[in-house]
Amino acid sequence: MKKKTFNFHRRQFLKATGAASAVLGGTGIGLFGIRSGKDPMTYSGTESLQGMTQNFNRSKYEVDTPTYKKVGETSRIDARTEVIFARMPRFGQQWDDEKGLDSLDPILKKYYQDHPEDLELDLHLRKEIFPKMRQDKKKYGDEFILAEAWSNAMGAVWPRGYNKPPEETDFPHPKYGRKQPLELESPEMTAKLIKKMGHEFGSTLVGICKLNPEWVYKHPMRGRGFDTEAPLDVPSHWEYAIVVGTPMEWDAFYANPNYGTSHDSYAKSRIVAYRMAAFIKELGYAARAHTPGTDYDLVVPPILIDAGIGEQGRHSVVITPELGSNFRPAIITTNIPMAVDKPIDFGVQDFCKTCKICAEQCPSGAITMGDKENIKGYKRYALNVSKCHNFWYSNLGNIGCRLCVAVCPYSRKSNWLHKTALQVTANDPTGITHSTLTEMQKRFYPAPDVKDYYIPSLGGKNASYRKPPWWLRTRDFIKLKKEQS
Amino acid sequence: MSFFNSGTFWFIEGILCCLAATGFKYWMEDRGVKLTWWKWGLVTLWIAFTGFVLAFIGVSIGENEMQAAQMAALIFGLIAVIAAVIVWRLLHLKDKNTANSKT
Repeated sequence: MKKKTFNFHRRQFLKATGAASAVLGGTGIGLFGIRSGKDPMTYSGTESLQGMTQNFNRSKYEVDTPTYKKVGETSRIDARTEVIFARMPRFGQQWDDEKGLDSLDPILKKYYQDHPEDLELDLHLRKEIFPKMRQDKKKYGDEFILAEAWSNAMGAVWPRGYNKPPEETDFPHPKYGRKQPLELESPEMTAKLIKKMGHEFGSTLVGICKLNPEWVYKHPMRGRGFDTEAPLDVPSHWEYAIVVGTPMEWDAFYANPNYGTSHDSYAKSRIVAYRMAAFIKELGYAARAHTPGTDYDLVVPPILIDAGIGEQGRHSVVITPELGSNFRPAIITTNIPMAVDKPIDFGVQDFCKTCKICAEQCPSGAITMGDKENIKGYKRYALNVSKCHNFWYSNLGNIGCRLCVAVCPYSRKSNWLHKTALQVTANDPTGITHSTLTEMQKRFYPAPDVKDYYIPSLGGKNASYRKPPWWLRTRDFIKLKKEQS
Repeated sequence: MSFFNSGTFWFIEGILCCLAATGFKYWMEDRGVKLTWWKWGLVTLWIAFTGFVLAFIGVSIGENEMQAAQMAALIFGLIAVIAAVIVWRLLHLKDKNTANSKT
């Protein structure tokens, strides 16, 4: 009788084990993928106050000149009229249908005479959109009770702000504060310290630049009022700008325009900025916080570019390597001497040129599909702020929209898949990956028809980009009095 | 941190990979296929790509992006299957040295 050899069994065993290992290993990779997709650690920007969230190697992409281009005569922004949040409340209070433009104060009147298209859009908001929005809110608004409650709660902490000019508010307290600024070791060490403190105070990203006076509003409102005619001389102690900021909550952010809110990151960034201003004053230097939503004396995006935080996209929002467009910044102007960061170029200008997803998905058509234009002396993509603002009130849930930020291919959670895509696009000079990834974004990540984002009275379906997270679905938690469709 | 993001997971994945490679080697030997360095290279590339496809599908499911998962399965999965067929045929090519030594 032939004796069976052990060798045969061993080979069979190893083959079977190998096959089982291959199946198990493959399953493991798949499960790893699922876990990566769900992992709360990839909700970048909220998991750490230790600076670990600023993890993009910027030094490789530093450039000597910012990615915006000066192409003509520039002029500072008149916040009284060009900032819609200053203009609209005044317009709302003053406008009289019978008197028309004569019902407005001279500053507003002149603005609308020069910009009749804005008058048309602002009147459309007042006469057409507001009444329909109120009507639909009664009919469908209960779906968004939790979203609104969450948003309002997030925005409940709001520092008092400044009601006096910079010369009076920015310096250490004359009686209790430090009389002389502390002598500092070096600008480099100070920058290092400020960045560490920024992260400790809760900022996801921190950057530093010299403040370009062109970014300061010509007629800022805070501590000066609406009626001042004299342009602001940029205070000499606003030498530097420190950029801080945080992202919006990722799951709600993907459920814009109805369920997301700006208030969560607004509030966090505000707190960071006021903490930073307080810290600098403790060292004996001047500091002033410029915070979201409206408490600014300056225009923010170019300062973010100067400080190497990111690049401005087609939608006018600054795109950062870590958070994409999901970044709500605050600025601190100061005179504490610091080493500054350089602007970066990680391929956004080339990407936005062909991507256009934000423009295609913008319900109001506020984002241009065209090329960059000369706007106030700088070449950039045009944004129709009035059209954008009108859509803020053409959907229910929380005020605002944020869709352009949510659909931006750069605004993705920081798992291996999206981080790899970012690195590939940042290092591809040919643009092949740009068009490939844009096409993938369109085909792999579908979005509702843009008309559906509107309220039903304006022809829409109250659509959101993605479904709301479980904790914002009102019906799962609250017994509503009547069924709403 | 969950198990699937831990070092333990990747340690176990490493062991499974080694076992799978050993089993694969014996299996190929039993089929009369000698695995040369370039054949191992091809297999490694295929495994890396297939791992990427599986992880892509997984990430998309985890992110609740079902269309992305389906599209990845359809497009990249198809590429992986085609690549598997090509790699399989290449593995069975007679190695020049082996063929010469037999003649």
